[in-house]
Amino acid sequence: MFLETKGLTKQFGGLTAVNQFDMNVNKGEIVGLIGPNGAGKTTFFNLITGVLRPTKGKVMFDGQDITGKKPHQVAELGIGRTFQLNPLFANFTVLQNVSASFYLHPRSSLLDIYFNTKTYRRNEAYILEQSLEILKLAGLDKVKDELAKNLPHGYQKMLGIARALAVKPKLLLLDEPIAGMNPDEIKFTMAGIRKTQKQGTTIVVVEHNMRIMDLCDRVVVINFGHKIAEGLPKEVTENKEVIQAYLGSEHAA
Amino acid sequence: MIKQLSITDKRKWLKPSILAGLVVIIALLPVIQGSPYILHILILTFIYIIAAVSLRTITISGQFPLAHGAFMGIGAYIAGMASKWLGWPPWLTMPLGGLVAMGIGMLIGYPFARLRALYYAMGSLFFGIGVTYIIYAGGIWTGGYAGLIGIQSMFGSSKVAYYYFFLGLTVVCLLALYRFEFSRIGINLKAIAQSHLVASSVGINEGWYRILVVGVGCFFAGLAGAGYAHYNTVLSPASFGFMATLWLVMYVLLGGIESFAGPIIGTTILVLLPEFARDLKVYSPYLSAFLLLIVVFLMPQGLVSLPKMVMLWYSERKKGKKVAHVSGN
Repeated sequence: MFLETKGLTKQFGGLTAVNQFDMNVNKGEIVGLIGPNGAGKTTFFNLITGVLRPTKGKVMFDGQDITGKKPHQVAELGIGRTFQLNPLFANFTVLQNVSASFYLHPRSSLLDIYFNTKTYRRNEAYILEQSLEILKLAGLDKVKDELAKNLPHGYQKMLGIARALAVKPKLLLLDEPIAGMNPDEIKFTMAGIRKTQKQGTTIVVVEHNMRIMDLCDRVVVINFGHKIAEGLPKEVTENKEVIQAYLGSEHAA
Repeated sequence: MIKQLSITDKRKWLKPSILAGLVVIIALLPVIQGSPYILHILILTFIYIIAAVSLRTITISGQFPLAHGAFMGIGAYIAGMASKWLGWPPWLTMPLGGLVAMGIGMLIGYPFARLRALYYAMGSLFFGIGVTYIIYAGGIWTGGYAGLIGIQSMFGSSKVAYYYFFLGLTVVCLLALYRFEFSRIGINLKAIAQSHLVASSVGINEGWYRILVVGVGCFFAGLAGAGYAHYNTVLSPASFGFMATLWLVMYVLLGGIESFAGPIIGTTILVLLPEFARDLKVYSPYLSAFLLLIVVFLMPQGLVSLPKMVMLWYSERKKGKKVAHVSGN
């Protein structure tokens, strides 16, 4: 088991956002995590990546207990992520956004950086090369010198993913990667996600948009913090409880 | 095309040549105008430039400390006390003052690193005020209300020697802080300022970087304070109270918080200006506040942005004239 959560629970005061949630992700697969608004999907990501501390339960990654680790420690272990509201380094250029995200691989020591040693210069040259490659993959090489805040929405979303790839993640968590994109951009993004998976990255993707199902090997459905269904995309879309959660109880009959 | 190229080439040389000219003037100043009073004011300017630039360095991480005057005071009092009670020489007490300020800054920074923006400013503000009271309560060791006297001076009464010493110190400190900001360390700090969520999601240890930058900023503030102690040989707690912090904040805001040169220009203008209008010196806080208001409203990026604004205005006027001319035909 690559990523495993056991009885993961998060309470905000009286509200239980994630309730006794068990999820398993195998190495190399793309798992979709879907559910209506406020179902607890983003909270689940925040619990894994250490932005929030779980009230109860455990998170295991690659055979290691990562419950309660800080966000930067989780990143060090090889988990990259994007954000639903997609914050970026708004006043950096597109290229700077990605190169600044190359913090871990390679990582220069403070003294190397400060005294501009050979190691640091070699690392920076490598980072520049890698950043340009990632931007090409993300289709952003033409706008690399634009400020991130001036990009259109679809490009910003792509930049969010490009930035997460700079962590060289073993596990990539994508929070609504295709929300608000036009059909062409969706096609392009989904192809990019597929390519990333083929290069050996395990992916968990949270989405509203049902088109993401085409990409997933397996889908987990969450509602009110509970897991209500799990299986192949086809099985899940025919599941009574899922239809009820999405369309209301009348349609379930 | 070729013509345009030559223009940009000229522009490229403009900045370094102005800088070189300034350096020559500053370096030769004691020869041209050796009045001890003017040298005294310039020495103070150098000291405050180090402090103001180090304050701005902390702000690139998105934190805004309101205790920088107090950290100058910590450096000054540590150096002064080591000099007076232990008889240590200035070349030892000055780094010591900086290091103690750095250590205290980082210790305070540790719990404060969780606070963001306004809360950080408030927390540091109370700490800064507290430092003054600790100095008051220090009794004979700090001199209390009466102030600390009997600190060894560095070069006796020769203002020229002090002038060159502080000029050199300022250049070294500015180069050190410049390298800090414009390396990957600075990039990481600016990344944290823009989105701490994203920064930590790519592995940047946000808390450690915040503490690091506070430590570096406080080191240079402490060093500047220690230099002041050995220059002035007398210290009074009031020089490092909340007003001192506020002046440093003014220097940074007036000059321009987004540019490295900002606090240098801001400090120079605000320290020198009252000296050129001595009759108005009583009103200098009011005038400075008024100047700051004007700058904040008309050029939020500080006085640094003035040449750019003038150039923009000029080119726009030229364009406007051209348009008028064409339409007139």
